[in-house]
Amino acid sequence: MADRYVELKSVSKSYGGVPALTAVDFRCEPGRVHAILGENGAGKSTLMKLLAGVIQPDAGTISIGGQTVRFSSPREAAEQGTVCMFQELSLMPHLSVGDNIVLAAPRTRMGMIERSVYREAREALDLVGAKSIPLGARVSGLSLSERQLVEIAKAVFRKPKLLILDEATSALTSELVETVFGVLRMLKEQGVAILFISHRMHEVDAIADRISVFRNGRHIETFDVGARTTDEIVGLMIGRSLEELFPPRRAPVPDTAPVVLNVSNVSWAGQLVDVSLAARAGEIVGLGGLDAQGQQQIMHAVFGVLRGVTGRITLNGRRLNGLRPPRVKQSDIGLALVPEDRKTEGLIPSMSVAQNMRLAVLGRAPFGLLDLDGSSEARLQELIERLALSYGSLDDPIATLSGGNQQKVVLAKWLVLSPKCLLLMDPTRGIDLPTKAQIYRLLTDLAAEGMAVILQSTDYEELIHLCDRVYVFYRGSVAKELTGDHLSADALIAASMNVHLHAGGQA
Amino acid sequence: MTDATERTVTSRWLNRDRVSVLLIALGCVALLLGGSLLYPGFLKPGYILQQLQIAAFLGIIATGAMLVILLGEIDLSVPWTITGTAIVVISASGSSNPLIANLAIPLGLCLGIAVGLLNAIGVAVFRVPAMVWTLAVNAMLLGAAVFYTGNSRPNGEVPWLATLAATGRTFGIPNAFLVWLVVAAITIWVLKRTVYGNYLYALGNSRRAVFLAGARVRLVIVATFVLAGVFSSFGAILLLGYTNQAYQGMGDPYLMPVISAVVIGGTSIQGGRGNYIGTFAGAIFITLLSSILSVMQMPPAAREMIFGAIILVMLLVHGLTNKKEGI
Repeated sequence: MADRYVELKSVSKSYGGVPALTAVDFRCEPGRVHAILGENGAGKSTLMKLLAGVIQPDAGTISIGGQTVRFSSPREAAEQGTVCMFQELSLMPHLSVGDNIVLAAPRTRMGMIERSVYREAREALDLVGAKSIPLGARVSGLSLSERQLVEIAKAVFRKPKLLILDEATSALTSELVETVFGVLRMLKEQGVAILFISHRMHEVDAIADRISVFRNGRHIETFDVGARTTDEIVGLMIGRSLEELFPPRRAPVPDTAPVVLNVSNVSWAGQLVDVSLAARAGEIVGLGGLDAQGQQQIMHAVFGVLRGVTGRITLNGRRLNGLRPPRVKQSDIGLALVPEDRKTEGLIPSMSVAQNMRLAVLGRAPFGLLDLDGSSEARLQELIERLALSYGSLDDPIATLSGGNQQKVVLAKWLVLSPKCLLLMDPTRGIDLPTKAQIYRLLTDLAAEGMAVILQSTDYEELIHLCDRVYVFYRGSVAKELTGDHLSADALIAASMNVHLHAGGQA
Repeated sequence: MTDATERTVTSRWLNRDRVSVLLIALGCVALLLGGSLLYPGFLKPGYILQQLQIAAFLGIIATGAMLVILLGEIDLSVPWTITGTAIVVISASGSSNPLIANLAIPLGLCLGIAVGLLNAIGVAVFRVPAMVWTLAVNAMLLGAAVFYTGNSRPNGEVPWLATLAATGRTFGIPNAFLVWLVVAAITIWVLKRTVYGNYLYALGNSRRAVFLAGARVRLVIVATFVLAGVFSSFGAILLLGYTNQAYQGMGDPYLMPVISAVVIGGTSIQGGRGNYIGTFAGAIFITLLSSILSVMQMPPAAREMIFGAIILVMLLVHGLTNKKEGI
């Protein structure tokens, strides 16, 4: 058991002539958490797919415990104890949580699933801290972070020997991340080898024993955690420092600046309770808190996605209650929403870059005809340059772009409408550092131009370094508003768990 | 490297839509050549023009079906929308009241609009799967038609305009085909150049993303089903002019060929992909195939089996190419 290490020797893989991995030597040992760091396109995902048997190397060998192996399918890799959690969630939405977990590795007796395995599924869920999720709940009714917990429980249930987590914590709040890390530490004690991919440096610091940095498909360096500073690691990854990630602090927005978005006493279906908040022109206002405390719903309520919202929502004095998305995006109101899930809500993956960019501006075309004078085309071209979008051809499917560039397209889609108020739902989730830095700079610039920016985020660093004010949500209402010096990681976490205030109310 | 670039350039030009159209055009030529082995008359212009005339009826009805399929839905109410329209038009045209008689064709189109609205309400408002809802609407239309005609052939007159449009010729070219060309040109323009067309493709791919982009999703769905109803009725009026009579079940043999024409033309049955030229060629292909099968004295039951098999094969082929593209 102890020598069940995984080793790659001079492994290369290329796609259609483009090298994804070049002569990589890599080794990970049981009972250790090994973090893989690198920008998008550095070869991390390719490495994972090789280990999981999704793809086969062009050259070189993969061995487990000294035995050369060649997986021709993920199933064979799974039989060897390799369990993989990819970025994309792979749960079946209409099945129950229990079925999703059990079907990952069904144990059958004469073709029937044994009942006892559901008890094990329950144990797996409890283990990852998802005690509140019933086995019978439908996955479609769960929030994104609950689904991610189920996904992790599914991996634990399969009793892995090599567990690969590819951005598996990206949708979780810090509190849940801590729970998951507890599980990982326990698995580690049991001798499981864990490969951990994340863009969040503090998570890597918290959990990993060793770190390997990849850049441009090459294995740059491997070292123990603590052997290098964060700045040095970032330097290895991208060749620039962490201070450059966030733009310099802006001067506070004066109280005399006009209030753009005003939400007062808004409630909805028990999930929003008496929420009031405001955003001035030029402000970046953060919405934080644990997952699914109402931050997402308030965004949807403002954008007109929800029906039956009570209370008052105004934008530049205009009442928005009851108006639907096609109305609120018109130029006289000027709202825009970057949704939470890029792949299903923000974009249409099978359509081209250009088609995706035009998706929002279309509704404004005169007489229902496309762009007679080409003015919005010109504006789109400007935005492509401003966002430094890198793409092959505008006619390529958007799925061919990296996650960061896809998010830029979602932004461009809305910015072409010149909105007065921009709602962003976790816009930098799963995006590499340089693109994050670009998006942060863009948001700061937009605020400087007088736009009111509402940023809902699960990343505390983002809320602290980028926002003027942060509203922390708890159980559907605003538990605390943090400004200026009060805006710190500790304060955010305390407010998220509602340490000071009485529970926000039962609906 | 240059090799890879060249390959991407070729693959970009030879995208799936173009390959489908190319294949189907080759299929038409193969059918004509194969048919000419059986009957030398197949390659004569007279025969080809006649086939184009018959293809026009199918093609116009398939236009509506294609819009609905692009949306990711399906319209199974086509057969009795056709029969119903034919009955309404022939009865109204035979009316002793001259006003009603003159309004026979608009009345027929109104029936198509009404059926389309009914379909749209079920799909867009009540969110019933289109396959079930439109099938139920089809059954209701059948019942209404039988109830109205008392299960006998409806009497009346065929409007002269319908006869002229369906059977007349201009410079030797069948009017029906010319009408179809106009319909085709407008459809291509609408799909490419209007907001409706662009949102239609987008909706077929992802309803949620389009909704969150602030599009009027319901309006697009309603418009699509109404257009489908209108195209079915329009086709029915031409068909009425061609057959010079209306009868129970005159629309029944159209459902499978219409869907076959759309699917053969490369439109994805899941919606969001396809172009009208494919449907155009698909309608011609189905018409030629049908003609050859009848020349070979294949019974109608066998023809239905062949159309069904074609749809299945096309779905398999498209399913495989989708997998290869990893979508």
